[in-house]
Amino acid sequence: MQRYALNALFCAAAVVLVVLAQTGALDKYMLTVITFMGINCIFAVSLNLVNGYMGEFSCGHGGFMCVGAYVGSLLSTAFFTNSKLFGPALFGPELAPFLFPLALLGAGLAAALFGLIVALPSFHTRDDYLAIITIAANYIIISLVENIDAIGGPRGFSGMKKVVNAMSDVADAPWMLIWTIIGLFVCVMMIYRLMTSTYGKGISAVCQNEVAAEIMGVNTNRVKIMAFMVSSGLAGLSGALYAHVYGYVNAQAFNILKSTEGLVMVYLGGMGSISGVLMAAVAFTLLIESLRFVIPWLNDILHAVNLLPVGYELSQVWKWVIIPLVLILLMQFRPEGFLGNRELTHVFPRLRRWITFR
Amino acid sequence: MSLLEINGLTQRFGGLQALSNFSFRLEERELVGLIGPNGAGKTTVFNIVSGFYKPTEGDIVFCGKRVNGLKPHVVTAMGMARTFQNIRLWNDMTVLDNIRLARYAWLDYSFWSAVLRTKKFRQSEKAIEKRSREVLEIMDLTEYAAELPKNLPYGLQRRVELARALAGNPKLLLLDEPAAGLNSADVEGLIRHIRWIYDEFKISIWMIEHQMKVVMSLCQRLAVIDFGCAIAEGTPEQIRQDPDVIKAYLGDGAL
Repeated sequence: MQRYALNALFCAAAVVLVVLAQTGALDKYMLTVITFMGINCIFAVSLNLVNGYMGEFSCGHGGFMCVGAYVGSLLSTAFFTNSKLFGPALFGPELAPFLFPLALLGAGLAAALFGLIVALPSFHTRDDYLAIITIAANYIIISLVENIDAIGGPRGFSGMKKVVNAMSDVADAPWMLIWTIIGLFVCVMMIYRLMTSTYGKGISAVCQNEVAAEIMGVNTNRVKIMAFMVSSGLAGLSGALYAHVYGYVNAQAFNILKSTEGLVMVYLGGMGSISGVLMAAVAFTLLIESLRFVIPWLNDILHAVNLLPVGYELSQVWKWVIIPLVLILLMQFRPEGFLGNRELTHVFPRLRRWITFR
Repeated sequence: MSLLEINGLTQRFGGLQALSNFSFRLEERELVGLIGPNGAGKTTVFNIVSGFYKPTEGDIVFCGKRVNGLKPHVVTAMGMARTFQNIRLWNDMTVLDNIRLARYAWLDYSFWSAVLRTKKFRQSEKAIEKRSREVLEIMDLTEYAAELPKNLPYGLQRRVELARALAGNPKLLLLDEPAAGLNSADVEGLIRHIRWIYDEFKISIWMIEHQMKVVMSLCQRLAVIDFGCAIAEGTPEQIRQDPDVIKAYLGDGAL
C-alpha cells in the first residue's frame, strides 16, 4: 500500500484543485494559469519522447498541436453545437461532458497521422537535416490551415466556448481543468509505461546506437513511426485542450515560437526525463506569468532609486529579454537541465518506496 | 542443405570494388574463420550477410531462404546474430536492458498492450527478463546487470556484446574481430570462451579475426580474402602452407 502514497497524494491534489476552482476559491486567472500549466506539461512531455528519448531534434512540434487544436475544435463544435459550418449538433449539447473525450481522441489521432510527415523522412535522415524537415512540417501545417477558408483561414476558428458552456450547463464544474488533468495523466502514463517496456526501449536503442539496434533485431523504421506518432498525437491532445480553454484558435499561435517553447521546456527539464520536463513545464509557465507582476514591480523600484530615466517605463516586452537571459544562464551553468536524463526517483531513490506506475 | 550459402557476391561502392565474386558455404555446427589483410573486405562480407548492405550482385541463402535485400532485423529474427569490430552497445542502458532488447525481434505484444499493461505484456516481459538473466548467468555477468556498459572495462564490454548476441538464440553467430583490443591473457580466455559457447549453445560460428593464434586454434576451416577476392579455403593446416596466403598475408615466418 505504501507504494501508492504519492499516487494518492497526486489524486488528492487534483481533487482539491478541482474543488477549489469549483467553489471559487481559485479565481478565473489562477484557474487559467493552472490549466495552461497542465497543457504545457502534455506538450513538453510528448516532445520529450522524440527529442529526449529518441535523440532526434524535432522543432516543429507546434504544428501537431495546431492539427489537434483545429480537429478537436471542429469535432466538438460539430458534435455538440449548432454551427453554420456543420449545421445542427450531431449529438446534442446535453451529451457534451460525456462525449467530449471523443473530440480529444479524434484530435490526437489526426495529429498522429500528421506525425507521419516527419516519421517517413526520418528513415533516411537524421539530426540537423531532420530538424529542418520538422520546421518545414510546421510551416506546411500552418499554411495548410490558413488556406482552408471554411475553417476561418487566417482569421482563426471559434465556437468552442459554446461547447464548454454546454458542458457547464449539464453539470457545473471546471470542465477544462478536469479534462486537462485527465489528459496529463493519460500522457504521462502512456509515455512512462512505453519507455519502461522492452517495446519502448527500442526508442532508446535507436537513440544510443541505431546500427546496433537495427542489427540486433529492432525494426528501427517501425520504432520511429511509433515514436513520432505517439509524440505528435499527444501534442494534438494538448492542442485540442488549448483551443477549448481559449475558446478560439488561430494557426499562427502554433508557429515556430510555440515549437521553441516546447524545446525550451524539454531542455530546461532534462532530455529523457519525464519528471524533469514536468518540473520545467510548470516552472516555465510560472516564470512567464510571474513576470506579468514582477516587471511593473521592478519598474517601480528602479524609478524609486532613480536608475531609470523619468518618462521611460519598463514594459512587458522586457519579458522576452528576461526569459532568454534566464535560458542563457541556465545553459551556461547547467546545460543538462534540471535532471539530465535521470528521473526524480533516480535522484532520490527513497521516493521509489512511495510511488508506482505499474 | 547448408546453413549459409553465399554465391558470387559482388559489392561496389561507387568506383570501389570492395568484394568480387565471393562464394562460401557454411554447414551447420561449423566453426569457421574469415581472414585477410586490412581492408580486404572481411567486414563488408559480414555487413552484407547481416543485411546491412544490399549486395550489387550475388545471392545469400540462409536456412534455405534468400536473404539478400532483407532488412537486418528480419535476418536477425531468422536466427543470425553478430558482434561488431568496434563495440556497439547501448551505453546509457543497463547491461540487463541491453540483453533484454536482443529479444526485440520476438516481441509478441503490441504498443497498446505495453501501455495498458495487459496480461500478455506482463507474461512476455517476465519471460524476457527470465531469459536475459539466464544469459547473464551463463556469461558470468550477473553482478554487472545494473551497470551501464560504458562504465565497464573493455573486456567486459566485449563479453556483454557477446551475451547480447547470444540472447537471441541464434543459429549462426558472426563474430567480427572478437579479440580486437584484448591483451594476450584475455585472448587465452576468449579462445576458451568461444569454444565453450560453441559447445554449450550448439550453434555455428563464423568469425573474422586478425590474431592467428585465435583462428588457428579455434577454426575447423578458414577462408582467406585479399582485395575483395577469395584466394584460399581449407583447414588451418592447409592455409598455413598455402603459398598465395603466405604471399598475401602471413609474410615470411609470421607464424
